[in-house]
Amino acid sequence: MKNLIIAFVATIATFIFSFNANAQEKVSNKKTQQVTINVAGNCGECKTRIENAAYIKGVKRAEWNQKTKELKLVFNSHKTTLEKIEQNIANHGHDAGEIKAPQEAYDSLPACCAYHDVDDH
Amino acid sequence: MTIKVLKNTPKTLFSIALFSTIFSSINITSAQEVDSVQVNNVVTRKINGHIMDAKTKEHLPGALIYTTDKKQQTVTDDNGFFEIELDDTVSTITVAYIGFETQIVNLKNLHNNHVMVSLKEEQSGRTLEGVNVMGRKKNSSISTLGVAKVEKIGTGELLKAACCNLSESFETTPSVDVGFTDAVSGYKQIQMLGLAGSNTSFTRENIPDIRGLAAVSGLTFTPGTFVESMQLSKGAGSVVNGFEGTAGQINVEWIKPFTENTPKLLLNGYQSIQGRTEGNLVYNHNFSKKLSTNVLLHGRGDWLKVDENKDGFLDNPLGNAFVAANRWFYFNENGLEIQAGFKGVKMDGVGGQLDYKADDEQVTGNMPWGYKNKVNRLETWAKIGKVYPQKPYKSMGLQLSAIFHNQTNDYGPRMYSGKQNSYYANYIFQTIINNTNNVIKFGGGALMDQYNEHYNLEQMKRQEVIPGAFVEYSYNWMNKINVVAGLRGDYHNMFGAFLTPRLHIRYAPQESTAIRASVGRAQRTANVLTENIGLMASNRNFMFNGVNIGNNLSNNPYPFKPEVAWNMGINLTQKFMLNYRDGSFGVDYYYTNFTNQVVVDLDKFNEVNFYNLEGKSFAHSLHAQLDYEPVRNMDLRLAYRFYDVKTDYKNSGLQEKPLVGVHRAFANIGYTTKNNWKFDYTLQWIGSKRLPQYLNTHNNLPVSNEQSQAYWLMNAQINKVLKGGAVNLYVGVENILNTMQHHLIINSDNPYGKGFDASIVWGSAMGRNIYAGFRWSLGGKQE
Repeated sequence: MKNLIIAFVATIATFIFSFNANAQEKVSNKKTQQVTINVAGNCGECKTRIENAAYIKGVKRAEWNQKTKELKLVFNSHKTTLEKIEQNIANHGHDAGEIKAPQEAYDSLPACCAYHDVDDH
Repeated sequence: MTIKVLKNTPKTLFSIALFSTIFSSINITSAQEVDSVQVNNVVTRKINGHIMDAKTKEHLPGALIYTTDKKQQTVTDDNGFFEIELDDTVSTITVAYIGFETQIVNLKNLHNNHVMVSLKEEQSGRTLEGVNVMGRKKNSSISTLGVAKVEKIGTGELLKAACCNLSESFETTPSVDVGFTDAVSGYKQIQMLGLAGSNTSFTRENIPDIRGLAAVSGLTFTPGTFVESMQLSKGAGSVVNGFEGTAGQINVEWIKPFTENTPKLLLNGYQSIQGRTEGNLVYNHNFSKKLSTNVLLHGRGDWLKVDENKDGFLDNPLGNAFVAANRWFYFNENGLEIQAGFKGVKMDGVGGQLDYKADDEQVTGNMPWGYKNKVNRLETWAKIGKVYPQKPYKSMGLQLSAIFHNQTNDYGPRMYSGKQNSYYANYIFQTIINNTNNVIKFGGGALMDQYNEHYNLEQMKRQEVIPGAFVEYSYNWMNKINVVAGLRGDYHNMFGAFLTPRLHIRYAPQESTAIRASVGRAQRTANVLTENIGLMASNRNFMFNGVNIGNNLSNNPYPFKPEVAWNMGINLTQKFMLNYRDGSFGVDYYYTNFTNQVVVDLDKFNEVNFYNLEGKSFAHSLHAQLDYEPVRNMDLRLAYRFYDVKTDYKNSGLQEKPLVGVHRAFANIGYTTKNNWKFDYTLQWIGSKRLPQYLNTHNNLPVSNEQSQAYWLMNAQINKVLKGGAVNLYVGVENILNTMQHHLIINSDNPYGKGFDASIVWGSAMGRNIYAGFRWSLGGKQE
């Protein structure tokens, strides 16, 4: 049992150290790109919509912040481009980066996501 | 008391050493904090301030204040005040609060280093009635915050089990083991840390719920549909809730009528091919912002005679169960909160041999062997709380409850009946010392349990009255170190006064890491008959202290000592990001050492002997778990746990506790598609268990220390969410491999014979089960 405890403590120590090391490593690979863009939206439902639209082939992580309207993207630049991701989000009705959503797509947004109306204040 | 434990166990020494290390590090760090004004030639200054809502002028507790590099941060206290020590070079701080616009504050030209910030409400846009906001929520999660490691089990996880009550809802939780008590009653019991469920304290919204005679049957009385969420924590709990809870706590939160996403009406239906039908209804109504109520109904019927293993015994008894509850809530603007409610339970069941009818007399001979079960139970409770609107850190509460429980169980010719009346009162006062980093709770109350049990013709009657008082101090330092130290003193009318000390420590070197440790004492009076009621499904002779029950009771209604145990544990939770996907890893180790225990000795095939522990009894538990999202919307959970549970038995010496699986491995994978299909698959491997002694009827020789086979279990479920979350349809399969324990009942051909034993259940007692059901929410939040 004593061995078990020692093993246990050792495991804890190893994990803490290895994860701390991991955290500092971050992006090393060139083909993996990390970009933050602005995406228009209002509510929690928009968050699901935006992230769903952002996850196209080659996207590793997409996280939209409701407060800052920032979408953090991590993607494989050999498999996709930022434009492609932005275009797909815009096609779902949300202005993404430089690309404005087509009026048609905007009109079909659920009511809580109609961000133009909110901006007019 | 501690000294005694120290002598017993070198591991205690280890834990104490660890605690003291952590303690000394607390002292060092806090000392540094005080001295840090001029360390490293950096001039620092203390900024204090107040954060409030620009519109209402109300203060905002819990607002976050941080520097641009996020190296220093703090939160406002309950009155919206904060204090932060910053390098002189820091020129701005950021103030953030959920629902408000984040503001950057310039620190130049401050008067007295004081900051006043008014935050503007965030323009959340148009919100339309009836629109369901569906974020992705984890089904179950473990946070790195909070002093105790708590597993939160949400409705998503509860849905995975799809059916039906608390005991079954734990089947997809690796921390808890679930198994049938015996092969005829259909009751399931749980194990935590390798200890029977009676060692875990169950609370409903922090009021003691399942205890006493209901320790085994009680899990059936809380239907899964009533439950909003569960919180599970291992090891010593808070002294506020009592002195019981050796292995851990499970708190169940019911659906509340006044919360935002509660539907007006919730309907649930379930049907399995094994002949079980269930229906649930929860109706919520808000009369006004102050007054609300809900009605919760549950009905269950088992109507199909199932005997999959063809041993002539029903796999599950036929019968009905009804649960009805009503709750009322009242809040007013002066901080008064009142909750009151009741729950009624009625259960009937008939099982045993296939042609048994409920009136058949049970005489040794040719009549079919039968099982009968009846439970009537009423629980009522009230909670009265007061928060001071001007001083939100100060509050007090009174919890009251009364339980009336009545059950009869007939196992063949063996008859048992039990009555329990319990009354509980607990007063809690909470306030702070200087600031919200030092919180103190104190109070007291009393618990009264009246038991009246009959075993065949013998009566066992006792009354326990236990008044007590407690104090608990919580310390928080920068959300990095938390300490909760509690002490309670109780006086037991039968066993005298006793102290219950408990200590919890959390250390979070960074946001993603938490190391926690706990130690504490727990005591409880074992209800030996109901806690081991499954053993009645055998021809084992029940003995107290080596003699037949009746001979023992004449001069002492309760011939045992209370169970006393010390539990200590340490655990780590580490969140991580791997390949840009989130995950968490956790490992915990708990050690429970019994100083008194009522030993259940099964090492003689035709008897069960209950006696006070002489020697050692302990449980080691190790649990490691990895949660990771390898692909978006795909959750993977891998877990492994190890138990070493041993007790000194009178004749056989130190032995592994029977029917406890030493190893268990668990894997669960869940995937949600973008159009709301959910797939869930669970695979488990349960290692072998030591079996109690039984009689081999072929050669008429007893078999000792046999090991059961290890086996695999597989469950799967498909779930489809429709209409923005309002309708949920599910279909699933339990025990896909159709693994079943072979020879579930020993000597099932001769149920009146010496060797008959239906209580040695180590594996799956039921075969493959296919089920389907729905959950339908009607109407959004009402006015």
